[in-house]
Amino acid sequence: MDKKRIDDSDSVPVPSQKLDRFGFVKQELNNSPEGVSKTRLASEYVREERRVRKWRKMIGVGGSDWKHYVRRKPHVVKRRIRKGIPDCLRGLVWQLISGSRDLLLMNPGVYEQLVIYETSASELDIIRDISRTFPSHVFFQQRHGPGQRSLYNVLKAYSVYDREVGYVQGMGFLAGILLLYMSEEDAFWLLVALLKGAVHAPMEGLYLVGLPLVQQYLFQFDQLMKEHLPKLGEHFTQQMINPSMYASQWFITVFSYSFPFHLALRIWDVFLYEGVKIVFKVGLALLKYCLDDLVSFSKISTLFLIRLSGLCCAYGCYMFVYQTSLPFEKLIHALRNFPEDAMDPDKLLPMAYSIKVSKRLEELRQEYERKNGEVAQSADSSVKQKLLR
Amino acid sequence: MANRVDHEYDYLFKIVLIGDSGVGKSNILSRFTRNEFCLESKSTIGVEFATRTLQVEGKTVKAQIWDTAGQERYRAITSAYYRGAVGALLVYDITKSQTFDNVQRWLRELRDHADSNIVIMMAGNKSDLNHLRAVSEEDGHTFAEREGLSFLETSALEATNVEKAFQTILAEIYNIISKKALASQEAAASTTIPGQGTTINIDDSGNTNKRSCCST
Repeated sequence: MDKKRIDDSDSVPVPSQKLDRFGFVKQELNNSPEGVSKTRLASEYVREERRVRKWRKMIGVGGSDWKHYVRRKPHVVKRRIRKGIPDCLRGLVWQLISGSRDLLLMNPGVYEQLVIYETSASELDIIRDISRTFPSHVFFQQRHGPGQRSLYNVLKAYSVYDREVGYVQGMGFLAGILLLYMSEEDAFWLLVALLKGAVHAPMEGLYLVGLPLVQQYLFQFDQLMKEHLPKLGEHFTQQMINPSMYASQWFITVFSYSFPFHLALRIWDVFLYEGVKIVFKVGLALLKYCLDDLVSFSKISTLFLIRLSGLCCAYGCYMFVYQTSLPFEKLIHALRNFPEDAMDPDKLLPMAYSIKVSKRLEELRQEYERKNGEVAQSADSSVKQKLLR
Repeated sequence: MANRVDHEYDYLFKIVLIGDSGVGKSNILSRFTRNEFCLESKSTIGVEFATRTLQVEGKTVKAQIWDTAGQERYRAITSAYYRGAVGALLVYDITKSQTFDNVQRWLRELRDHADSNIVIMMAGNKSDLNHLRAVSEEDGHTFAEREGLSFLETSALEATNVEKAFQTILAEIYNIISKKALASQEAAASTTIPGQGTTINIDDSGNTNKRSCCST
């Protein structure tokens, strides 16, 4: 049930386009020698088999042993998830760890009701974005095809289920990644589990009016970045670069918008089990990994500041600042185009795991709330209570 | 230090691209900065950024363009990017009258968050879809005239008027700036308070914003 992958779907026409193993259309000319990838795949296959066996044992039939196992050996579970959930079990495990399976069981027939009988004020907005969500994935490519239809249904159902949030751009990428691993109804309840907070703190604030949680996360990330990478923080401040310029997508779509899919999946494994702090950790790890490049860009800037600040500009003082923009632009570019090696999950994720953020995140959240007045927090927890009743 | 070559420009202008979701802002940007068009582009989440350097009135001008997510909810993030912008390209879709009706709201956004002297060009995009047209070019012209905006119909797909739209904005900004520079030099010469050059108001662009304030 949790397999809606291209390799076992009959309805997909034989593609003339080359696809990667996740079903995305390959963009680059692939001249890599076949032999290399084959031998690597062979050894990987054996290892993968072993892992799947271990995982199956841990989960039990249809997930029956899961809760028991997690209670008994939470650290083993955590460690194994950090190594990556086997792709063939990912859909099921995601539902187990996110708490969405329980929501589904507690709410029979609700999804169908939302999809078939309710109307949403966001229908046109959703339709407009359907073909703009993972447009290079074979499942979502076909106009009005099964992928686009499922995506529409899930988003529409959510916009009815939670009329205060409705539909907001970015949600489609969450729903999209889920739909590649599970049925519509399962994807819907996982979205609910995430946004309403079945296991972790609710994330609906990412999409509520004013995007309050995006603002909070960006504040927290900015502070963390300055604490963990002070040199970089200083340069960014000088260059007037703030996280909203590069990190809003990280939070709003949990890295699913523009990151390599294999990396996004590994992040999602951990995200669903450990919560949003992994987004901060990965963000910090990326900056740390690219630190030398980012800082050397910035060094050039100070020279230009001196050279260019003499330029006459009568349009306002901010023009002065922008006169130094060579490094600014390079920085922005670098922050949106991380090198391929930085995107290797086996390099990036261990680095991310080693960064400790939990305690500071909580302190910074409190600090942010003090700054912005006591909002929404009490409402959030009552929703969570209600959901889990 | 080879980078220095990149950096040779006389002026740098920050421009924002705004308008409803799906009107083609990102494709206008990619057409202008990379001469690319993508039918299968993703919706913009948050803000995107690109630059292009070009000649305007004999000067080398770098346009630094911020492309913003169009959905209303995103204004919580995107409106911060209006600060410091000297130009705005306000885009609607000629095949969707709603996006034209919303231009008024976007002007209000600019008034609330942007510099009052900002140069605004309104662009009716997707002119290649003439058979699906829902907003006449004349309505566009009339509205633009009333609000004191420049106006062009564009097609990012066919690369029609995209270049011209930016050229027009940049030239207008440049003209304002050179007049201002002149004025501030004169002011500096007569009053010997050079620092105040930035506060001078210019009449020829000021009226556009004043006028839009009273409408709605």
